[in-house]
Amino acid sequence: MKRKISILPKNSIEIGQVSFNNPIWVASGTFGYGTEAPELVDVEKLGAIVTKSITLHPREGNPPPRIVETSSGMINSIGLANIGVDKYIDEMLPIYKNVSTKIIMNVAGTDLMEYVEIIEKIESVSSDLVGFEINISCPNVKKGGMEFGVDNSMTAELTSELRKRTDRLLIMKLSPNVSDIVSIGMGAQDAGADAVSAINTVVGMSIDSNSGKSNIYTTYGGLSGPAIKPIGLAAVHKLYQKLSIPIIGIGGIVSSNDVMEYILAGASAVQIGTANYRDPGTGEGIIDELNQTVENSKWDSVKDMVGKAKLLS
Amino acid sequence: MIIEKTIIQSNNQIAENIWKMQFESPQIAEEYAGAGQFVNILPNDDWNHPLRRPMSIASVEDSTLSIIYKIFGDVTEALSKKKVGDAIELLGPIGNVFTKWDSNVFPILIGGGVGLAPILNLKDQCHVADIDYATIIGAKNSNEQFIDHDPENKIYLTTDDGSIGETGTVMVPLDKIITKIDNPHIYACGPEPMLKAIHDFALKNEIPTQLSVESYMGCGIGLCQGCVINKNNKAPKEHSYHEKYSLVCLDGPIYEAEDIYFA
Repeated sequence: MKRKISILPKNSIEIGQVSFNNPIWVASGTFGYGTEAPELVDVEKLGAIVTKSITLHPREGNPPPRIVETSSGMINSIGLANIGVDKYIDEMLPIYKNVSTKIIMNVAGTDLMEYVEIIEKIESVSSDLVGFEINISCPNVKKGGMEFGVDNSMTAELTSELRKRTDRLLIMKLSPNVSDIVSIGMGAQDAGADAVSAINTVVGMSIDSNSGKSNIYTTYGGLSGPAIKPIGLAAVHKLYQKLSIPIIGIGGIVSSNDVMEYILAGASAVQIGTANYRDPGTGEGIIDELNQTVENSKWDSVKDMVGKAKLLS
Repeated sequence: MIIEKTIIQSNNQIAENIWKMQFESPQIAEEYAGAGQFVNILPNDDWNHPLRRPMSIASVEDSTLSIIYKIFGDVTEALSKKKVGDAIELLGPIGNVFTKWDSNVFPILIGGGVGLAPILNLKDQCHVADIDYATIIGAKNSNEQFIDHDPENKIYLTTDDGSIGETGTVMVPLDKIITKIDNPHIYACGPEPMLKAIHDFALKNEIPTQLSVESYMGCGIGLCQGCVINKNNKAPKEHSYHEKYSLVCLDGPIYEAEDIYFA
């Protein structure tokens, strides 16, 4: 069922040079390439769609089982299954010309040159992509971007190399599986990132107590869903204290109240992830809810609320 | 494929830990394409269990849709506590259907454990279409069986403990009847060890076989890429990025035996 509402421009936001109709985006890996869900959803209402991670070469992904539900969450280990950048350019970019929603391409690589090559390939063709979100933090791929995501100088080097090659939005997606997420965020900011998004999934494990077997083929996977919301909120809040670039909050958002929490913690925009698996229209519903929640609040707009959480000490 | 708020019309235990639930679901019933398709159920509105549960459709009659489910966790336990008149949200219909069952072939329908729904659905369809067929239903014991062992009418039950029907797995009656049947086609749904045994039997004896496979699903609509099955490269599938895996939600849940393998 599609509801018609007027999107309140007062909840529009800016990240870098780009304006978004609203701060509700959908997270990488939970909305395919952005072309799969329209049958069920009015994607045009979303602030932005972040695509699944695209790699230099096509990837089959990990063997099954890849998914298991956990308390208030789930663990996935998909292994970045995707069609690869060349096919992405041929098949997906043309479709985006007919989609008015802003699309942000998520990029993953195994070394610096792979990231660079992907960005160069995309920048060599015409497209409507508004930016890139750089996955430096996928926990499910051996030799994945994780080395970048845990080291602030490598994050800075990667950011700097990509910055030289694109004028589009450059968003670095941070991992919670690090000792100091703020220093890595600072590395990204100082090297020219337009924004950071936080958090990616939290490393987790699940075992079937009857059979004694791991529920995930790769043993460890990425925990997501409401279970990780407090971890995401703390990360966003810590980043907000130190960074001057916008922060995009991710982790366990299922309602407009969750969005409010992230914004109060310091997020300028948010991404809906796991909730899309239950209902790909979650973001659409939250946009309606959020407009109403802001209307009823003491704030004039989402922008006014950013980072305004009242601390008790 | 739609998300529909439906109303529960009945919810009854039909055997030990096995329940049947009926819904008033006009929109999904309208789009329903045949035996084999499933719905993705949201048993609870809270987020303790974030994911829907895929359940094969056991019947569609006018605007009434039914499922058969087995209790094996707190979500299915909660489902069994639902009352007539309660609302429940379904996403569906999803997936492909059993094919090539007509009067030119002799369908052997095999179901076991949680895989009864699509097999009973196909059984009803064969009956309505006046196609001669055989049915084999496997269970642990007689408490889990809810139809009669009736070899004269080609309905064979099996139980692990022999408490009803033949002792052993569904392979026991299958081995016996297969040689007496012209142009047999096997249609099966059940736990993986059962499907693997049927899969190997089908390939060895070159019997056309369609398997409805189980897979852990995140979304049921191709977004999460979680529900893959190992596939042989000979059959390209629309929703497979490469050669190794096929998405059960969109390419399946029904596969020709030779197209897939069990690791």
